[in-house]
Amino acid sequence: MRTQLAGEEVEFRPDGTLLWPSESTLFVADIHLGKGASFRSQGLPVPPGSTLATLEKLSMSLESGVQRLIILGDLWHARQGKTAEAVEQFLSWRSRVSVEILLVEGNHDRKSGQLPVGSDIQTVPDGAAVGPFRLHHEPEPMDEGHVLAGHLHPGYGLDGRGRQSITVPCFWITPDVTVLPSFGTFTGCSRIRPGESDRVIVTTGTECREVPISRLTESSI
Amino acid sequence: MKTPGEQVIESWFAMGGWEPFDFQREIWRRYRDGESGLVHSATGTGKTLAAWLGAVIEGIDNPKDGLNVLWITPLRALAADTTESLLRPIRELGLPLDVQLRTGDTTSAQRVKQAKNQPFALVTTPESLCLMLSQKDPEAIFGNLRCVVVDEWHELMSSKRGVQTELALARLRAYVPELRTWGVSATLGNLAAAAETLVGAGGTACIVKGFSGKEIIIDSVLPESMRRFPWAGHFGTQMIPGVIKAIEESESCLVFTNTRAMAEIWFQQILDEKPEWKGVLGLHHGSLDREVREAVEMGLKLGKLRAVVCTSSLDLGVDFSPVDRVIQVGSPKGVARLLQRAGRSGHRPGAASRVTCVPTHAFEMVDIAAARESAMAGKVEAREGVLRPLDVLAQHLVTIAVGPGFDADELYREVKTTRSFRDLTLSDWDWTLDFVVRGGESLRAYPEYRRVVQGEDGRYRVEDKDIAHRHRMSIGTIVSDAAMTVRYQGGSVLGTVEESFLSRLKPGDKFIFAGRPVQFLNIRDMTAYVKKVSSVQGAVPRWSGGRLPLSSELSQAIREELDHARNGELRSPEMEMLAPILELQARWSAVPAHDEFLIEQVESKEGHHLFFYPFEGRLVHEGLAALCAHRISQNQKVTFTIACNDYGFELLSVTPIDIESEIERGLFSSRNLGPDILESLNSVEMAKRQFREIARIAGLVFQGYPGMNKSARQLQVSTGLLFDVFTRFDPDNMLLQQAQREVLERQLEQSRLAIALKRLSESELVLMRPERPTPMSFPILVDRLRETVSNESAADRINRLVDQLEMAAGNLA
Repeated sequence: MRTQLAGEEVEFRPDGTLLWPSESTLFVADIHLGKGASFRSQGLPVPPGSTLATLEKLSMSLESGVQRLIILGDLWHARQGKTAEAVEQFLSWRSRVSVEILLVEGNHDRKSGQLPVGSDIQTVPDGAAVGPFRLHHEPEPMDEGHVLAGHLHPGYGLDGRGRQSITVPCFWITPDVTVLPSFGTFTGCSRIRPGESDRVIVTTGTECREVPISRLTESSI
Repeated sequence: MKTPGEQVIESWFAMGGWEPFDFQREIWRRYRDGESGLVHSATGTGKTLAAWLGAVIEGIDNPKDGLNVLWITPLRALAADTTESLLRPIRELGLPLDVQLRTGDTTSAQRVKQAKNQPFALVTTPESLCLMLSQKDPEAIFGNLRCVVVDEWHELMSSKRGVQTELALARLRAYVPELRTWGVSATLGNLAAAAETLVGAGGTACIVKGFSGKEIIIDSVLPESMRRFPWAGHFGTQMIPGVIKAIEESESCLVFTNTRAMAEIWFQQILDEKPEWKGVLGLHHGSLDREVREAVEMGLKLGKLRAVVCTSSLDLGVDFSPVDRVIQVGSPKGVARLLQRAGRSGHRPGAASRVTCVPTHAFEMVDIAAARESAMAGKVEAREGVLRPLDVLAQHLVTIAVGPGFDADELYREVKTTRSFRDLTLSDWDWTLDFVVRGGESLRAYPEYRRVVQGEDGRYRVEDKDIAHRHRMSIGTIVSDAAMTVRYQGGSVLGTVEESFLSRLKPGDKFIFAGRPVQFLNIRDMTAYVKKVSSVQGAVPRWSGGRLPLSSELSQAIREELDHARNGELRSPEMEMLAPILELQARWSAVPAHDEFLIEQVESKEGHHLFFYPFEGRLVHEGLAALCAHRISQNQKVTFTIACNDYGFELLSVTPIDIESEIERGLFSSRNLGPDILESLNSVEMAKRQFREIARIAGLVFQGYPGMNKSARQLQVSTGLLFDVFTRFDPDNMLLQQAQREVLERQLEQSRLAIALKRLSESELVLMRPERPTPMSFPILVDRLRETVSNESAADRINRLVDQLEMAAGNLA
């Protein structure tokens, strides 16, 4: 779904990424590599495969001529999750993609220790400017520029008739901040409460759709 | 010849001017002879003393050090009162026997004391018992045990907590093979199975029927005229004047409703009529804060409250002796349930239990009449135990591994002695063991995974302290809904409300909660802050679940009741009252005989309606409706909208259906039933919801606890997410299969559905084409739970929900 953001044409994509075509740049948030492994190390029997699946999903997102990937935090989930296997999978993936990667560290990254040697990732400070955008992990408006962030794993609750209810990953666009949905295959989402002037774009997996917010009241649903 | 102990106990009865009942003496004799058993009797007829004093007599005649008696109660809130009532004869006789409490509220200092100086008896819950079994040397606690008493066994046995209790009892028997087990129960339709479940394979249990002389009165408050009484709807608040009159006639009264939302509404409306009852009218339901509930319970006990509007939260529990009348608002849904509630009144000697039913719409009068017929004929529902829940088994294995550890073969044999797991296959056992040791097949290659480990001596143990600690914090099978605390700004906690209700509120919105009008302010840290407002016409929170289906016994009684009415036999005031409506039903369509199956086909502006009346309860109808819709849509392209209630279901379509030929093609055939149901429903979504409970019990997720540190918080994950991850990366996981099985059995009552199909296919089909919706169809039309049946993908579903939103938004513009 193409739309204007901070004066730039961008594309909200069903995989939860944000594409900035004129700069061949792709934004992604909350990848959480090694999350399954970190659960396993604590005695919670989560099946393996989610890290590899996440990396494969990311490869597909990069297929459309992207030259720069900007990660808005939480590339890794936890120190315990950086097992030899997960690191090996990541480095092997890295050697196959030739894009430039920038990372704004998220709260999980800061507790996960150093990036593996050979990651070839440039860490940029919180609030770094890229065109009209400011890069953050945690969504906080800045004095100038439009903030792109992650961290919240935003989801929008759709409540239908007949007790149907489902929470769908979404982009949450406020006048100053756009929050991306979480990208990793082993991440969920939590319901947000958008304000009246916000926009919400849900991802169905195959397409993106904007949900009408402002004119809705509780009684109309 | 009486033993000294018996003489002491008999003298205690004499002190009060009574004499033990024959069944009490019988139990003491059987207990002395080493027997186990089940005692069933009406509430308030001395079951507790019957089960307790046998052990006390033995304690006098043949004292033994250490813990003699373990008393298991299903309610933590009940434990303190039980301890008091067990202590009463002990104190009055000045016996040197101590009774103590062991629940989640017991402090660690008290626990240490209990270990050093063991009481004669310990009152505890299934969860606390399992915690004790997870200690390093449980034999030191239980080695001297003589007897276990399980209170309210009818409540426990049909749940996963019952299975947890069965496994714990098997463990105790491993320590003390001659252990006697006594169950205390209300009357059930299948007492023999209940007794067998209690003692496990190899044990024998006698069944002792208690004092049944207690009189039970079942009457009703009826509308003054049928003319203005609604055919449908389920709040029934126009009956409030009659209910107020009934409350006024009684000294103290419990008003039971079937849902929490209804309790809130009734509480509010009674107060609107009777403002002077503010302060003497209480509200009690499971979502209220514990302190609020305890204050209400105390008020009841002391006789300070005129009446309490409540839900099943007061089905069990402490005796409120001032209560002399119970009011049941809405259909009682089951015979045992009605009797249980009736038994909450009339605890004074010689007093009768009285329950007054209040219909909330016309057809509930049949429910009331039928429930009374069945109750008087002693036709009470059976309770079935839960069979082979592997999540509970997985939890049990880790519990024992955290404790003394286990030998796999020994524990397998022990687990097989429980009724729940008696048919456990070796392969299911191996899978479960593998699951707690290696995380299952898919994790074999992952050395970083560890939970239970096998030592060099071959025994399985949990060695990691953190894992042991987390397991202890998560023992139990009760999984609460995702709920948010509701709290006054800067003040006290009111209770909990489901997140989905709060997510639809905007700051400033008003709603009614805990019987008080409040205004929603904001949400911070998983707490919803509210402030008091004077009054509102506000929303009432809806809590999910809670809508109990009609029991099969009552369903059958209702069919019989209608059959009688059809032949002009009006056997009760309720049926007399309903007669004009039944006449109308007969004139417009038909009142089905008990061996007939009525189907009505009606055309309206909405489209073509098909109403089916199997009278099998809501859950069965949900399954049947989905099944029929699915089977018809195999033959022709059609989309249905479905609605159900306890009497029947509706299929609404734009195009007409040739129902006769559909039936000929096997619409109600039980062939291919399981696969057809799974295909017909959004079974994946349902299984995902069911997985929540399973994942918690099996230890796949960790719920957390107050004060836990950050690293533990990183382990929190939603079970929906886990379900997706398992489905994708470990599809053969048996817990996924269990989720599907539980959906079929528990949410759709598949076995009941199969029986219903068989009955329907043998029934005489009565197909009517009335000109307009009939009185029987009306409640279904109004009480509509619409669910469009079509095989949509998740993406389609999201799109449809967004479309609905857009339409709603468009309508507002």
